[in-house]
Amino acid sequence: MIDSTTNSRFSTKQLIVIYTIISLVGLLIVWELVARFTSASMFLPPASEVLAAFARSFVEPIGQHTMLAHVGVSLYRVAVAFIFATIIGIALGVGMGYSKLFEAIFKPIFEFIRPIPPLAWIPLSILWFGLSDTGKFFIIFLGCFCFITVNTYDGAKNVDPELIGAARMLGASEKQVFFKIVLPSSVPYIFAGLQIAVTAGWSAVVGSEMIQSNEGVGWVIIRGMSTGNTVQIMVGIVAIGIVGFALANITSALERRLCSWNAQKGM
Amino acid sequence: MKSFFSKHKYTVISACSFVFVLFIWQLVTDILHLVSPVMLPSPTKIVETFWYKLTGGTVPDGSSLIQNILSSLKIALGGYVVGVIIGVPLGVGMAWSRRFELVAKPLFDIIRPVPALAWIPLMILWLGIGYASKVGIIFFAAFISATVNSYTGIRQTSQVHLWVGKTFGATNRQLLFKVAIPTALPMIFTGLRLALGSAWVALVAAEMLAATSGLGYMIQISRLLGRPDVIIVGMITIGFVGLLLNTVLEKLQKKFVKRGKKA
Amino acid sequence: MERSEGNVKTKTPVLECRNVGRSFDSYDGSGKNEVLRGMDFEVYENEFLVLFGAGQCGKTTLLNILAGLDMPTEGEVLARGQKVTKPAPERGFVYQKTSLFPWMTVEENVGFGPKVRHLPEKEVQERVKKYLDLVGLTGFEKSYPNQLSGGMRQRVGIARAYANEPDIMLMDEPFGHLDAQTRYMMEEELQRIWQKEKRTVVFVTNNIEEALFLADRIILLTNCPTHIKEEYEINMPHPRDYVDPEFLRLRQLITDNMDLTL
Repeated sequence: MIDSTTNSRFSTKQLIVIYTIISLVGLLIVWELVARFTSASMFLPPASEVLAAFARSFVEPIGQHTMLAHVGVSLYRVAVAFIFATIIGIALGVGMGYSKLFEAIFKPIFEFIRPIPPLAWIPLSILWFGLSDTGKFFIIFLGCFCFITVNTYDGAKNVDPELIGAARMLGASEKQVFFKIVLPSSVPYIFAGLQIAVTAGWSAVVGSEMIQSNEGVGWVIIRGMSTGNTVQIMVGIVAIGIVGFALANITSALERRLCSWNAQKGM
Repeated sequence: MKSFFSKHKYTVISACSFVFVLFIWQLVTDILHLVSPVMLPSPTKIVETFWYKLTGGTVPDGSSLIQNILSSLKIALGGYVVGVIIGVPLGVGMAWSRRFELVAKPLFDIIRPVPALAWIPLMILWLGIGYASKVGIIFFAAFISATVNSYTGIRQTSQVHLWVGKTFGATNRQLLFKVAIPTALPMIFTGLRLALGSAWVALVAAEMLAATSGLGYMIQISRLLGRPDVIIVGMITIGFVGLLLNTVLEKLQKKFVKRGKKA
Repeated sequence: MERSEGNVKTKTPVLECRNVGRSFDSYDGSGKNEVLRGMDFEVYENEFLVLFGAGQCGKTTLLNILAGLDMPTEGEVLARGQKVTKPAPERGFVYQKTSLFPWMTVEENVGFGPKVRHLPEKEVQERVKKYLDLVGLTGFEKSYPNQLSGGMRQRVGIARAYANEPDIMLMDEPFGHLDAQTRYMMEEELQRIWQKEKRTVVFVTNNIEEALFLADRIILLTNCPTHIKEEYEINMPHPRDYVDPEFLRLRQLITDNMDLTL
């Protein structure tokens, strides 16, 4: 931005593509060379081997499933927990932001639970739910839920009082003010929360599968560790990274679509 | 009394709600025995255990609560400091120099979507289950927040401020240190806080998988030993220490970023 | 308060402000901050009343009280003889910041009032069409507020207030944020709209030319606490001219009477 000596031969977009290719190819070459010709080969498998194994993982199963199925299992877990977290988080957040009484009742309990990292619930969830999927839903739910609630709460608290006043002046009832003004004007905040929550949920599923599972991407990498299979760990990390990237981008694309009215801030 | 109640109505309701939850909890555990103590110990039992661990009790995990906290903090802060020292300059550099950004950002972008936890197996395999591997994991957690926020902060520098600097003949270096970095400071501090938060979360996971002391280890081993009271004591401590760290950084932020109110 | 006799439209008061005062607790909680004192006036049917005064304190508070969004600490406000205690669709409000609902299109904004009052869908559509046409925004039904210019947004704000067909319109410096050129244009527009769809209007401004251009009657307010200093009947025919001698004379008269101290 600042020393933008615009190269006349290429547009900014082209430059980004060119440099991205150069730096990624550079990384792969350095990795390959280091892994093949230095003592690092003891623990670092060459890039080509990891990529080949990654491609193979879609055909040959790791454990009981191929990679696609492992990703599917993990995504399914995130999806179930995320839906519950979204419903409960939005209800709680809007409720606390809108009603002082509701806030007084629920906020202390929420604030008590909030600082505890979701993964710290794993031992309790194993005690309560065993190694079933319910336990994983529970952990991922906690991972998403707090972010959604906090953001929704902020949104509902920050509704422009003049908009509420305008709606009342136009004859809206309390219920209409809530559903037509408070809720929609919190939507950008809710989306910001959902975006963080998706990433947090993905992280939580990896964590919980590492500790209590026999399938899913988290299991893939922890299994790689216990069998000393570095290639399998790296293949797992690649898959986790790709899905994480996709999730983050899907939610932000969705936000741009659904909150287009908010594109130009500070009206 | 009446005016006290009307003035602090919501505080009173909050307190009542909290006490009510504790009461129900106590009721279903110790009084009515609806829930087995193996699943959920009563609040009084938890307070008892908390006191025992706080005053130096080492059963069941082998260390007192204070020892566990210190052991965890040592690791968390170690990884955090490394993450910040690398992350902040990286973020600032990528935002300030276009050439550097073109080369470094693609590499950063492929690391960024990988949750810090996913590095645990690799770190353990490479560095063993000692101090180094955990510092490595926490490094990843802290590094990403620190970089992203510094980058965004510098990017928010207003063009007008830079023009003013330029018309007064400031060099590129002066523009960076006198205009851009001060602009970015609040964001950078936010990044530092988020980074500490992620570091603390990652730590719990790392200690649950590979450690012989620390809060994460304490709750994990207590599960194997069937001590839910110690688990809950551990969880509350983890939450509390995390909150404390955040508060300390918030105070520091207020002290160093003098621009008054938050945006 | 002496009131000069003039050709007031009708003598039916739509809104009566009876000795209204408003104080706030000061920030440190030590005392009271008096913002309004002894506001006593009526607003007559189909009259264009301008509340004019410099500075910020008090005018918006007064308008909020008239609207029923705020309660006076002294006195009361009567709308057609009924005490005002809460906002009601009989009183339309046009805001300085427009306060359009940013997630709704222009037509949803304008239709909001009729819709929340559960008018039949056909009636809602008709009113949206009618009032968008009145403010000259036909063709922008599907736009979002952030796609419109400041003047256009203000037109939507006016159409939205009109769509409820209120008994009285309260306007809080609606053109305060606009640039001078757009402002002149909007003043003319408002005059045209008002001639076409007569409504009782209470209009707050700190711009003397705007006040003289629009008003049937001007109430001059002074500051801290805000109270009534003077009232003027303005009998010039519309459309008015900024350099007309009578216009300039009144302008001089009123500004001489203003307290410019805060």
